[in-house]
Amino acid sequence: MQSILRTKSARIGATVAAMVLLVAIVLYLGDAKGFGAVQYVQLVLDGIRGGSIYALIALGFVVVFNVTGIINFAQGGFVMSGAMLAVAFNNLALPLPPALKLALAVVFGVVGTTIVGALMERLTIFPARHSHTLTLIIITVGVYIFMQGMALLIWGANAYSLPAFSSLALEDQILRSGGIMLKAQSLWIWATLAVVLVALYFFFERTLLGKALRACAINRRAAELMGINPSRMSLLSFAMAAALGAIGGVVLSPATRPIYDMGLKLGLKGFIAAIMGGMVSSPGAVVGGILLGVLENVAAGVTRAGFKDIFAFVILILILLFRPQGIIGGGERGVEQ
Amino acid sequence: MKKRAFALLTMITLLALLVGGCGTPVPPPEPTTPPPPEATTPPEATTPPEPVIGTAYKLGFFSSITGPTSSLGVPERNTAEMIAAQIEEAGGVTGPDGVIHPVDFIIYDDESNPEVAATVASRLIEEDEVDAIVGGSGSGPSLAVVPLMQEAEIPYVSMASSRAIILNPETGESYKWAFKTPQENFHSGGWQAAYVEAMGWDQVCVIYSNDGYGQDCLAQTTAAMEEKGIEVSYSDSFEPTDTEFPQIASVVASGCDALVIGAVPPGAALVTVAAREGAPDLPVVLGHGVCNATMISAAGAAAEGTVFPCGKLMYADGLPDDDPQKALLLKYREDYMAFTGEGPEGLSTFGGHGWDGVMWVLEAMGSLEDGLDLTARRAAIRDYIETQITNWPGTGGVFNVTPEDHLGLTYEALGFVKVENGTWVYFPPEEW
Amino acid sequence: MQREGWRRHQISIGIGVFAIVIFLLGWLEMAQPMGFEFSDVTGGIVSFDTLVRVGLLTIVVVGLNMLMGHAGQISLGQAGFYAIGAYVSAIMTTRAANRGINVLFPGVIREEWWWWPWLMILAGMVITGGIAYLIGRPVLRLKGHYLAMGTLGVGLIIFVLFREGGTFTGASDGVGSVPRLCIGSFEMWPRERYYFLVWAVALAVMWLSLNIVNSRVGRGLRAIEGSELAAQTMGVDIEKFKLQVFVLSTVYASIAGSLYAHYQTLVNPTPFGFVGSLDLVIMAALGGLASIWGAPFGVGIVYVIKEVLRARLQTLLRGAGGEHEIVIFGLLLVLIMIFMPQGLSYAAGKAFGWLRNLSRREGKTEIDRLTEKAT
Repeated sequence: MQSILRTKSARIGATVAAMVLLVAIVLYLGDAKGFGAVQYVQLVLDGIRGGSIYALIALGFVVVFNVTGIINFAQGGFVMSGAMLAVAFNNLALPLPPALKLALAVVFGVVGTTIVGALMERLTIFPARHSHTLTLIIITVGVYIFMQGMALLIWGANAYSLPAFSSLALEDQILRSGGIMLKAQSLWIWATLAVVLVALYFFFERTLLGKALRACAINRRAAELMGINPSRMSLLSFAMAAALGAIGGVVLSPATRPIYDMGLKLGLKGFIAAIMGGMVSSPGAVVGGILLGVLENVAAGVTRAGFKDIFAFVILILILLFRPQGIIGGGERGVEQ
Repeated sequence: MKKRAFALLTMITLLALLVGGCGTPVPPPEPTTPPPPEATTPPEATTPPEPVIGTAYKLGFFSSITGPTSSLGVPERNTAEMIAAQIEEAGGVTGPDGVIHPVDFIIYDDESNPEVAATVASRLIEEDEVDAIVGGSGSGPSLAVVPLMQEAEIPYVSMASSRAIILNPETGESYKWAFKTPQENFHSGGWQAAYVEAMGWDQVCVIYSNDGYGQDCLAQTTAAMEEKGIEVSYSDSFEPTDTEFPQIASVVASGCDALVIGAVPPGAALVTVAAREGAPDLPVVLGHGVCNATMISAAGAAAEGTVFPCGKLMYADGLPDDDPQKALLLKYREDYMAFTGEGPEGLSTFGGHGWDGVMWVLEAMGSLEDGLDLTARRAAIRDYIETQITNWPGTGGVFNVTPEDHLGLTYEALGFVKVENGTWVYFPPEEW
Repeated sequence: MQREGWRRHQISIGIGVFAIVIFLLGWLEMAQPMGFEFSDVTGGIVSFDTLVRVGLLTIVVVGLNMLMGHAGQISLGQAGFYAIGAYVSAIMTTRAANRGINVLFPGVIREEWWWWPWLMILAGMVITGGIAYLIGRPVLRLKGHYLAMGTLGVGLIIFVLFREGGTFTGASDGVGSVPRLCIGSFEMWPRERYYFLVWAVALAVMWLSLNIVNSRVGRGLRAIEGSELAAQTMGVDIEKFKLQVFVLSTVYASIAGSLYAHYQTLVNPTPFGFVGSLDLVIMAALGGLASIWGAPFGVGIVYVIKEVLRARLQTLLRGAGGEHEIVIFGLLLVLIMIFMPQGLSYAAGKAFGWLRNLSRREGKTEIDRLTEKAT
């Protein structure tokens, strides 16, 4: 199979053919369920919303991997931490107008988690920085377990809630048009993603610190020789990943019910999205995340929701087999142990 | 060099923890024949001025304190600890001969995992040597331990709802040593079908959680609906950790008249919210697992107007005064809130299931003659539960345990409620 | 290269000594001399049930150690293959009866016969190996993190399929009433007998793996693990080796799964998800990836930690429950991986010199070299 796909045009042709086939299958299955255009649009919209969160989480994975070569399994924990801290702050009885309190809660969630991420790096990654990559991965797993356990201890097994950003209440404002509904929170999520992407662009392209981070990602040794401190870069990358994860968690919270174990699934999906971006490319991760969200949601909608995870992983495996450098492609880097 | 030293240190610490278990005098779970001195004189001292204190009984308890079903397991564990504190204050259970036996509660977490449940159950049976076991918040862990209980011949009361826990599906006979306290899902399904029929709908959709409870709900609801000639036009599952609900699109497309949700909160709340958003005019009917404050707080306004069968614990205030359960329900609510320091939002029927189970065992223990050995005690407790729990008002209903029915509840154990203004309102069939 | 004198049989001696220890522990539980039983050895902390479970997972983790430590391939989906073995055994010894297996081989094979479950264990091995072979060919072409993700995906797909299997796999409730294993009329129960069975298999598997690792095949594996490119240059057929080790590790997992099914008598999808696979990797790493001896260590230490927490936490912290166990477990995991990254078998080897020679006999692997640099 690989030999056939060697020519670029053949590859493009195969990809297009696969996509057409996929769309045909989806339409066929959806038709069997009596779907109209409304359902498809709805599924895609909801998928983009979920996918945006995956994208934010994936960015966190990419930043850490690029700079340190570690897959940070605690990324899901950052998402959960951001959400729970924001909820905890918001539930305090403070004499503040609800809008201000919510804004402060968001800030508290993100800043608090960033601190957690930095602490994690200093306390657990830094001492083991010369260890084998697998060891470091398992350390991040241990940190995730610890974080989930602490969340369970502090906040119990209850589901909490954060008010929707638009309505400042549990019920969100919903925009309806012709049978399609859009939650106002979705707009917040997309706006946040856009702002984050722009901010990251400026950071990496225009600031010295950002460029130093990129240098470290490209070649750690060379960066060190240039006077960049790799361990500080590692710290920075973890702090950034924590912030990104927390932002994702906070902006998602009003649309779901934050609970102590929400991080595992989201972290996994974000990881898949990062892989779809070849693990090294930020735009790839974003595209991967949104694509994953849409594909997963549509597939689950036209078949059975129980199989949703399977679709995510089948997509993953197909990508790994046929396009391991990711959708947008960042080259094969640092993959061999 | 430092690393190796630390490595050795950690190993030594771990070993010390292990060995420390042997050496350090640890307060009972393993008491010897002279009873522990903390048993105080009970207020209702009988005619002999110095009440005789007998050997301590041991009650094993496990629930899902962590894991996906922890919202069931935590109230159950809290209830068990509450009762343990009450018994400790009273000194113990009093036997028919006036001998007071302190009761040790040994509580474990099954982590919502059947494998761990089997491990802790084995531990309770063999290492801790308990007289009876109350445990299992979910059907999976409960089903996993039933064979162990049968083999070890120890009475077991489950707090999970699957019928297969007490009834062998192949032979149709009750398992000798297994009992349970929660109402059946098919009672719940019966109520749902009755309501749907009364409203004149003939097509429903079912969305259920992807676990034992949800799947059982699907089976029971479908069976109940079909019995009344109502079609289940679409059914699909969801994961409690989901954030998107593409199932709603299919629900809308199928054109059903109502949505039945088989899950516990917070999952059930998420689906309800999604349903209200995606299909705002579709009526929502749920099962008896959502009858707790978590549902209301997680679903918010989306819960308004939803209907479901519910154990009487949650609307005890609204019961008529001559209801046999009312007094004990109110007392349980008061005690639970005092013990945990939480408000009414901490109450749930799950805690009630735990209360029923533990009280059965305690009552059985209270009937034991002094001086019986472990095997005899276990057998006697089992016999008591099977024969003496008759017309027994509990939180779940009025129980009538028989050799054929190790649950002993009927349709009437549940009532039907509607959510109005953020609370449950009793919604009897007359008002449908 | 032949070793001299007793060192030629070092593997067998090591296994033999270990076997004696296992036997003694089991005998303690069975014979209970002077009322002293196994749990008294640890003051009631570690139960006999735990020992059996340690044995079961040792079988799986030995395979994982071979795959990860010696062939350098990560597998985050091993629990899926564990599941296949468990479900095949469970379904074929229970539901198959209802599906009319009799019809297939009328009068010749009947599922009531005592050797049917054993045959099904074999069937499970074949099925699992077959699936692993089919999946392994494309997936093992991936490397590093990609391979990790690929195997994770495979494991999860298997898990979801079992969970969504409807009445065939019992969905979330699983398959129950799995019968106990017997040989003729000798039942592999009570627990002590099953313990011996499980550990006999575990020891056999360890012995086999130790021999593989020290043979030509093993050297080929180590070459791959060092550098695939270099190995290929030397004429080592990487694809074949990797696939063989992968399939073997899944066959081990399948045996363990079947034994698990007959032990638990209920097979439920819960232990086979992502967390299950992760647990296995953690156990492998804690024990020491490059060491077959590390497998029982790693599994044992995880179980012991959990048991200790379960038994003693109540006395250390009033009102502590499962929540505290999770936190402490995570903390311990992090600490152990920071300070003892080569795993406990290596640390134990340092403390007990001759054990270290044994693990060293398996050859220094890349991991050893890399982690040694840190100390």
